[in-house]
Amino acid sequence: MIGPSRVAELDMPAAGIETGAARPAQSYWNESWERLRANRIGIAAGLLIVLFALIAIMAPLFSFALTHYQPQTINLDETFIRPGLRHLLGTDELGRDTLTRLIWGARVSLGVAFLTVAMSLSVGTTVGMVAGYYGGWTDDVLMRLVDTVLAIPAIFLFILMSILFRPNAFTLAAIVASVGWGSVARLVRGEVLSVKQRDFILATRSIGARDARLMVRHLLPNVLPVLIVAASLGVGQIILIEAALDFLGLGIQPPTPSWGNMLTNAQSYFFRSGFLVAFPGLTIFVTVLASNIFGNAVRDAFDPRLKS
Amino acid sequence: MTQPLLEVQDLHTVFSTKDGLVKAVDGVSFELNPGETLGIVGESGCGKSVTALSIMRLQRPGRIVGGKVMFKGQDMTRISEYEMREIRGREIAMIFQDPMTSLNPVYRVGWQVAEPTRLHHGWDAKRALASAVNMLGRVGIPSAAARARDYPHQFSGGMRQRVMIAMGLTTTPQVLIADEPTTALDVTIQAQILDLLRHVNREFGTATILITHNLGVVAGMCQRLMVMYAGKIVEAGPTADVFANPKHPYTWSLLRSIPRLDAERHEPLKPIEGLPPNLVDLPNGCAFHPRCVFRVERCQRDVPSLLQVGDTQRAACWVTQAGTELKGA
Amino acid sequence: MLAKYVARRFFASIVVVLGVTLITLVLMDRTRGTYVPGIDLNPALRPEDIARLRADLGLDRPFYLWYLTWIWGVVHGDFGRSMIDGSTVMSHILDRLPNTLELTGTAIIIGIIVSVPLGVIGALRRGSKTDHSLTVVSVAGFAVPQFWMGLMLILIFSVTLEQHGLPWLPSSGAFSAFAGGDILDRIQHLALPATVLSFFYMSTWSRFIRSSMLEVLSQDYIRTARAKGMSERRVVYLHGLRNALIPLITLIGLELPGLVSGGLVVEVVFGWPGIGKLAFERALQYDYTTVMGVTFFATLLVIAGNLLADLLYGVLDPRIRYG
Repeated sequence: MIGPSRVAELDMPAAGIETGAARPAQSYWNESWERLRANRIGIAAGLLIVLFALIAIMAPLFSFALTHYQPQTINLDETFIRPGLRHLLGTDELGRDTLTRLIWGARVSLGVAFLTVAMSLSVGTTVGMVAGYYGGWTDDVLMRLVDTVLAIPAIFLFILMSILFRPNAFTLAAIVASVGWGSVARLVRGEVLSVKQRDFILATRSIGARDARLMVRHLLPNVLPVLIVAASLGVGQIILIEAALDFLGLGIQPPTPSWGNMLTNAQSYFFRSGFLVAFPGLTIFVTVLASNIFGNAVRDAFDPRLKS
Repeated sequence: MTQPLLEVQDLHTVFSTKDGLVKAVDGVSFELNPGETLGIVGESGCGKSVTALSIMRLQRPGRIVGGKVMFKGQDMTRISEYEMREIRGREIAMIFQDPMTSLNPVYRVGWQVAEPTRLHHGWDAKRALASAVNMLGRVGIPSAAARARDYPHQFSGGMRQRVMIAMGLTTTPQVLIADEPTTALDVTIQAQILDLLRHVNREFGTATILITHNLGVVAGMCQRLMVMYAGKIVEAGPTADVFANPKHPYTWSLLRSIPRLDAERHEPLKPIEGLPPNLVDLPNGCAFHPRCVFRVERCQRDVPSLLQVGDTQRAACWVTQAGTELKGA
Repeated sequence: MLAKYVARRFFASIVVVLGVTLITLVLMDRTRGTYVPGIDLNPALRPEDIARLRADLGLDRPFYLWYLTWIWGVVHGDFGRSMIDGSTVMSHILDRLPNTLELTGTAIIIGIIVSVPLGVIGALRRGSKTDHSLTVVSVAGFAVPQFWMGLMLILIFSVTLEQHGLPWLPSSGAFSAFAGGDILDRIQHLALPATVLSFFYMSTWSRFIRSSMLEVLSQDYIRTARAKGMSERRVVYLHGLRNALIPLITLIGLELPGLVSGGLVVEVVFGWPGIGKLAFERALQYDYTTVMGVTFFATLLVIAGNLLADLLYGVLDPRIRYG
């Protein structure tokens, strides 16, 4: 008979083997890389960015061998030429070759974007790790600072700062990064707070590892996936911001060509040539699109929270 | 013999996964008589929940690829979605494992309990709410009228499961399917909810299908019991007989892995060796044979069918069908 | 409890507002110091005139004193006068704010009206051709520079149409001086800039609704609703959408600061007399008081947006309690 003895809980093992949280780091990177490689569109987009970057680096070569023009050579006899064999993408109001200027402009757009990402990440990661690791009043002070930075209407800050520093590629990157680090810091802090709770950090602490070592050797690798994702998603946005600043006349100043400042005067020449508006914008669009697609692919492949 | 209320015949439900087709329910047949309580037992992933969901045709993204579910003279796998909706929540109600997540967090409890009668019986909001409050009281929620105005997060787990049960009962369905109704609850609350289900079964005469991985729950609740393994029923019979004299090695192992207070000495528990099978890549022959201590050569080759073994039980096992008793080891 | 929560948020906000305005002032001070706006325009000014102007504008004092004076004024509801045209900063803001609200408000409303159904369709038909096309459009929407989209729309709908003698849309301003700004005229002026702004919102929000909806549809309570025999429509819209919209509220709340700074580029391209354009022009001219005033308002909007989003969240999601 069925006695009370048998009314007891029977916990059965779940189907399949539970994969523990403490999986070896190596396999995580391999798996992520495999996932990224399997995403063909993402890889194609990434290769396009690499191609653009190569063109930017080799801009002198291209303008010498391919277009045969220099970006700042004015030729008033050949203004507003339509795209054709002599000028593949036409010329502007001063007879400068549009394609050549776009190629040189890539140096600014891509250079500033990568520089900005590097700056935002290094500052944001440091602040976020320190805030998350030490907690307490350090955390309070740093995070209020982040709140403040993120609450300033960014565009005002850009305007004032670009008046303050004569913008070149480096200062412009610094200006954009002066806002960008805030969200990175928040992200990293959140990640550090969750990693900090895990046993291995406590264990490392208990054997007396120093703070700096703990942060660099143990916290940083755990924050890295989030950083990679943030970086690859950030590039496209920063290209857009930089182009807008150039367009408003707050960024790279003429005559140095940039994709954004090539559009500054376009409005005045609408009736002469629509191409002057179309090409730089298309270039920005394609570049940002490729960065975003690649960024999404990286996120899908690397974001540990999406894994399940 | 009375006419069965619900009859499942050779039901097959599959899921397409990256690694291949998973036969979550692989030829399950059983019937449910009016007013009875039937237990379906098995490990997670054995197909017991999918069986229940398939009856309700809520198995998506899985697909029912074969078999019939006869209810009131019609095959529920063939009727239109519209007709199916008329049965769901009206004739057959279902409650789920996790009462914490099974109620919609943004609507008041009374509104949610009243929803079935409003839609199925066309009652106006006032009447439906009054009946909902009445039902909440009957399932043991104190000051039901006031609690009906609360949101789900303001209830404890046990109370939420009572709400789920009340929600199922407002339309006085003939069948109640309870999918692991107590798994997410504390032990003392579990007993209360099981009491409530017993009470509901007696008072409303609702036939109940109780799905659980907990043999103890079945022992106190169900007249009949089915044990599922890898999408198939491996043993079925009256609960008392199955417990006293299991006819399938899997059931036998399950029972031996339960701690017993009346054990003669301090015997160690005997967990089942090995892991549950991978449903994409089932072993040949009997799916249980890699973990089976009684296996014979034939088990690795041929799939046994569910046949009468002994007076009251049926089992899908070459060993017991050949007359061998399950003992020792 | 709610009042206490709002109060705490309010005090935290004061810190942020002080921080933001102080940073703005320090930046302006570092930039141009005691520069008097418009001073280059009048070569006849003698050094003593300039000194007097500085004293009048308070620019002879160190920036922290200037700041304290400014704060004192703000506390008393006085935002000072523009250093360029002498009219009150408040009148400038009140003059421009309605235009900005008109533009951004329209864009947000269009954005919601379009993105919610698109997001739901994407979620319901996940993996279909419709879903893929929606994804493509939305990914493209993220990548279009707003100012360029504005320029292209002007090129197509104003310039080209006009060149071909077809009816065309105005490319600049909020209304035409001679038409007197009747409703139709205002709508025509609004059409292009609102399209650009709302396109951005659409691409962001429709993706967001899609993923939010997908997550909600996989929840247990959706299965419960189906098990109760609810129609698919009722399951999706009544049980699903209500939950899926909650996080969108936060997103829209966070978009409120865009009222000022997000729309700035669009306002500049379309010559829209809004508050963003005002700030842009005045910052270039070192009109300290106006910039400080607009910054103050913009920051208030950020904070109000966050707070509003949180409160609405609480209304829509009964689980949220303010502690």
